[in-house]
Amino acid sequence: MSSYYDSAVIGAGPAGLAAASRMAELGLKVLVLDEQPRPGGQIYRNVENASPATLQLMGEDYRRGLDLIKRFNHSSAHYESNAMVWQTSSDGRICYSRNRKSREIKAGHIVVATGAMERPCPIPGWNLPGVMGAGAANNLAKEAGLTPSGRVVLAGSGPLLLLEASLLIEKGVEIAAILETTPKLPSPNTLVHLIPALRRTDFLAKGLKMVRTIKKSGILHHKAVTKLRAVGGDRLKRVEAVANGKTVAFEAELLLLHFGVIPSTHLFRLMGCTMEYNDRQRYWYPVCDSWGRTNHENVFATGDGSGVRGALAAEYKGELAALEIGHCCGIIPHYERDELASPIRAMLYSDNLPRPLVDEIYAPAAGAHFFEDETVLCRCENVTVGDVRKAVKEGVRNVNEVKIVTRCGMGPCQGRMCGPALAEIVAAEAKTEVEQVGLLTVRPPLKPIPLGEVAEMELELGSQEQADLFKNMRK
Amino acid sequence: MFKRDQHTDNENVAVILDGETTNLPGNMSVAASLLSEGRIVAKISPASKKPCSPHCLMGVCYECLMEIDGVKQQACMVEIQEGMVINRRLGTMEED
Ligand SMILES: Cc1cc2nc3c(=O)[nH]c(=O)nc-3n(C[C@H](O)[C@H](O)[C@H](O)COP(=O)(O)OP(=O)(O)OC[C@H]3O[C@@H](n4cnc5c(N)ncnc54)[C@H](O)[C@@H]3O)c2cc1C
Ligand code: FES
Repeated sequence: MSSYYDSAVIGAGPAGLAAASRMAELGLKVLVLDEQPRPGGQIYRNVENASPATLQLMGEDYRRGLDLIKRFNHSSAHYESNAMVWQTSSDGRICYSRNRKSREIKAGHIVVATGAMERPCPIPGWNLPGVMGAGAANNLAKEAGLTPSGRVVLAGSGPLLLLEASLLIEKGVEIAAILETTPKLPSPNTLVHLIPALRRTDFLAKGLKMVRTIKKSGILHHKAVTKLRAVGGDRLKRVEAVANGKTVAFEAELLLLHFGVIPSTHLFRLMGCTMEYNDRQRYWYPVCDSWGRTNHENVFATGDGSGVRGALAAEYKGELAALEIGHCCGIIPHYERDELASPIRAMLYSDNLPRPLVDEIYAPAAGAHFFEDETVLCRCENVTVGDVRKAVKEGVRNVNEVKIVTRCGMGPCQGRMCGPALAEIVAAEAKTEVEQVGLLTVRPPLKPIPLGEVAEMELELGSQEQADLFKNMRK
Repeated sequence: MFKRDQHTDNENVAVILDGETTNLPGNMSVAASLLSEGRIVAKISPASKKPCSPHCLMGVCYECLMEIDGVKQQACMVEIQEGMVINRRLGTMEED
């Protein structure tokens, strides 16, 4: 098998699928790697095998994945499933593990389309068995046709929380309560964003339908709740919170948490991409130009990983990166690239009209004052919020130093589950901004793999690779 | 905690779970398959010694880490197969 590609795409969600299809259609030699067994990413997970009932329930927003995958399957892009990328560098080298064998390939361009994850938010008891992400329940429905069977509480904030609630209601799941941490009244800033959003009546209608489903169900729905906690011994027994000044408690078997979605940035950080902090949404994202090019000439960021804007935007951004790469490879001249890009940019613009409104309504609360000292922050190493606060009180000011002192972020998840809250806590304690306390350093392998696998790796590239004499002439 | 929707007809596969031959639904991840049978505990945390269950189902949290065919793997990222040997090493903990 050849190990050189014009372009390698990491991630087969809407962004990666669109980018890969377009590049292959332009005639490039494309490789797509995704650690999941099937294409589709998070939103279109398992859509190829979805039953008619699931397709019906999830609606057009899910079914769209079928068209995308069909186009991808028709293209000449080479796809490897179950392929976990654990090392990449900006010179185009990629190492990945598949069926317990690791391999290195080289690509002229790397398109990182690794998507987003749910924002991990440490509340007391969030590590109890029976507490899960709302997105996790969504994944189980798509992947395995599973529906929660006992009493469920949904808690947190964000449109995906309400989407999951409305899906569960339609399936007849017993929901004890929906506990939103979102304020009762949106901030005055919301008004400015309302006008552009009004131009997308289709979007607003969808949102209203969701809210109506929840209202009609009569399920207890509190807003502006605080002091959310999961209580239990070896598994979840009860969910508690403070709503309208009173403590409320609900017996439950399953607590689904959701606090919005943030970009997955490990690969960008590994490659030394310049990162920027979005102060309103409180997440880091890679800096890139309007085609998705990062500070590295040949590395592109696309989809939700480059900033969370949803599945359609992910697809459009994938197309744009593909056109630019097609241009850089000398397949299309710049005027053709721009002409092809123009309708895509228009769709991207229109898709984004309601986004600032939604982002503003569900903007995460700043700071970390509501995290409690006893709460486990780092699951892997069992480090509490209090342990981190203590380290900061002793003078540590950077998240990487806190990591050394407390082991927070040192486990197998490499800080994916604790990193964002860790930074909030360090910043709040040190009375500074999240941007000032650094980002956890990411090292290969991105996910633990057996040492033997690395030792046996085929390293076919070595020193015999050809010099790329035209590299600087391709702009 | 979870039930399978009526319209799904995933054939069972026989695996060796914690030393015992067990039939579990196939055509899904090991984590989903175990959850569908009410087996919610995936591992005992080596750090806290407390039971953990899958949290993200997308390969991020590592709460589903278990030994599958001799290698520690994320159960939510591995498809269950006939004959798999799965060890959660729950020790004396009882599952209800
Ligand atoms: C759990 C979850 C559920 C969601 N459900 C919905 C929903 O129901 N409706 C909705 O509108 N939006 C949903 N979203 C938001 C939606 O996922 C995104 O808007 C959209 O999927 C973004 O597309 P993408 O192509 O950027 O990334 P994704 O769709 O996330 O695809 C990224 C892909 O990259 C792969 N990947 C990541 N890292 C690696 C690696 N190191 N090696 C190999 N492959 C890797 C992943 O396996 C994944 O397939 C959900 C998000 C999450 C996190
Ligand atoms: S459930 Fe989170 S990694 Fe498997």
